[in-house]
Amino acid sequence: MTLVQALFYLMSFIALASALFVAATKNLVRSIFMFFVTLFALAGLYVLALADFVAITQIVIYVGGILVLILFAFMLSGKETLNVIAQQRKQFISISRLPALLVAALFLIVFVNVIVKVDANNLEWVKKAIATKNDIQSNAATTENIGVNLMTKYLLPFEAVSILLMIALIGAAHLSRKERTE
Amino acid sequence: MNFYLTYFIIAIGLFGFSAAFALFGVYAERKVSAFIQDRLGPTETGKFGSLQTAADMLKMLQKELITPAAADKWLFMAAPAIIFIAVYLGFAALPWAPGLAPAKLNLGLYYIFAIISIETLGILMAGWGSNNKYALLGAMRSAAQIISYEIPAGFALISVVMIAQTLNLQDIAAQQGILSTEKVSFAGFWDVSSIGGLFAWNIFRAPHLLIAFVIYFIASLAESNRAPFDIPEAESELVAGFHTEYTGMRFAMVFLAEYSMMFLVSMIGVILFLGAWNTPLPNMGVVKLATWTTNAGWGVIWIIVKTLTLVGVQMWIRWTLPRFRVDQLMNLCWKVLTPLAFACMLASGLWRIFLM
Repeated sequence: MTLVQALFYLMSFIALASALFVAATKNLVRSIFMFFVTLFALAGLYVLALADFVAITQIVIYVGGILVLILFAFMLSGKETLNVIAQQRKQFISISRLPALLVAALFLIVFVNVIVKVDANNLEWVKKAIATKNDIQSNAATTENIGVNLMTKYLLPFEAVSILLMIALIGAAHLSRKERTE
Repeated sequence: MNFYLTYFIIAIGLFGFSAAFALFGVYAERKVSAFIQDRLGPTETGKFGSLQTAADMLKMLQKELITPAAADKWLFMAAPAIIFIAVYLGFAALPWAPGLAPAKLNLGLYYIFAIISIETLGILMAGWGSNNKYALLGAMRSAAQIISYEIPAGFALISVVMIAQTLNLQDIAAQQGILSTEKVSFAGFWDVSSIGGLFAWNIFRAPHLLIAFVIYFIASLAESNRAPFDIPEAESELVAGFHTEYTGMRFAMVFLAEYSMMFLVSMIGVILFLGAWNTPLPNMGVVKLATWTTNAGWGVIWIIVKTLTLVGVQMWIRWTLPRFRVDQLMNLCWKVLTPLAFACMLASGLWRIFLM
């Protein structure tokens, strides 16, 4: 087993174990901090897949932004509220969990199907890309590639997303503004 | 196998450096504050009190590790480690001299920016885990402050990246001196590619980067929770902020993280704006000062001298200015620094297109 493979299995194990903990624990705040470990392990997997820019962006946005935002919501909402959520019914199978079980089961079917049907070592499009030298080498500078593509091929989606974010920003600013007393 | 051994040695060396710097930093801080407040500072332990921080460290090592009964034990124990490791990871990407960097990341600057944001999470963890109102308030303030000030700091950094056209810190460093492969011009008109020295530094290559540097420096004070932005640990209202409940080695870790953070943000400022490991001495005719003083050995000396100067300015500011109120802090960030940083970014774009 090469070092890369060992790292892959290590990262995958950490990601899966911590994700299981996040889903299973009753302590909501701890589950959020555990989610941080999951995100870190995922970032590690991205690095192994030569997507270093994606890995760092994941840490900036999820860890530095979204996780901190969730934590803020928790800290503003007192211990009593959290205790109510923590004291849910303990039984594993109940009618209120049916939708979740259904979705999980469907996803399992999809995943098993993918694993059984796809021959990951001889994919058509991967072979084609390697043949036409359209693949990313381990020493390639991916940032320039992403930048150029965002500004040329994917300019319209990029601008659409930026307008969406702008709308969200203006909306947030409007909501947080003090009402003028008349 | 030697390959991996080198990595371990470098990592341990960086840890040793940050610990040694914290020892020196605490001593310097106490002497600087004493000078500013017309006191003597530590004088008893060792010559001029120079062994004071070592003695403090010994005291901390022996102290009992108290975990409050109502605290969330795991979060409480893990938080100081996360706070310190987040800062320590940042050191991996910093270039020390030509050809001398722990890791040659082509995303170096972005990586450090990401790593710094992890510290917020550690602080929130400490605040929540302590189960203490002062700790929680301190953590909330700290997170709000760091997140807000990341925006002007980020845009100040982007305005440098737009001039430099790379995120690799080693490349950004090399562009600011005689080792540059492209044309370097002072303020956009005077070609100083072979003169180097002070004139090739980023703040002089494009004058608006001087403003960007000031914005970055102010924001970096806020990100390392230093006065005048130390409301997270405002001792007159919050006892000690997010680390109120910490004792012994855990407290030492938080302290180590604070001083390492000071060094880290100063060094990033030096690399991006103040010429990194390049010499301040220009080539003048036959007196080739820049050529003589640009190599690996000199590089380490220059970057440490510049960084320590910035750390000194941080200390000077801490003991001179009073603390900001929360609303003043947010006003400064959102109404002054952020628009200015945006203007700098715009200026960088125009500069790159029309003057370079």
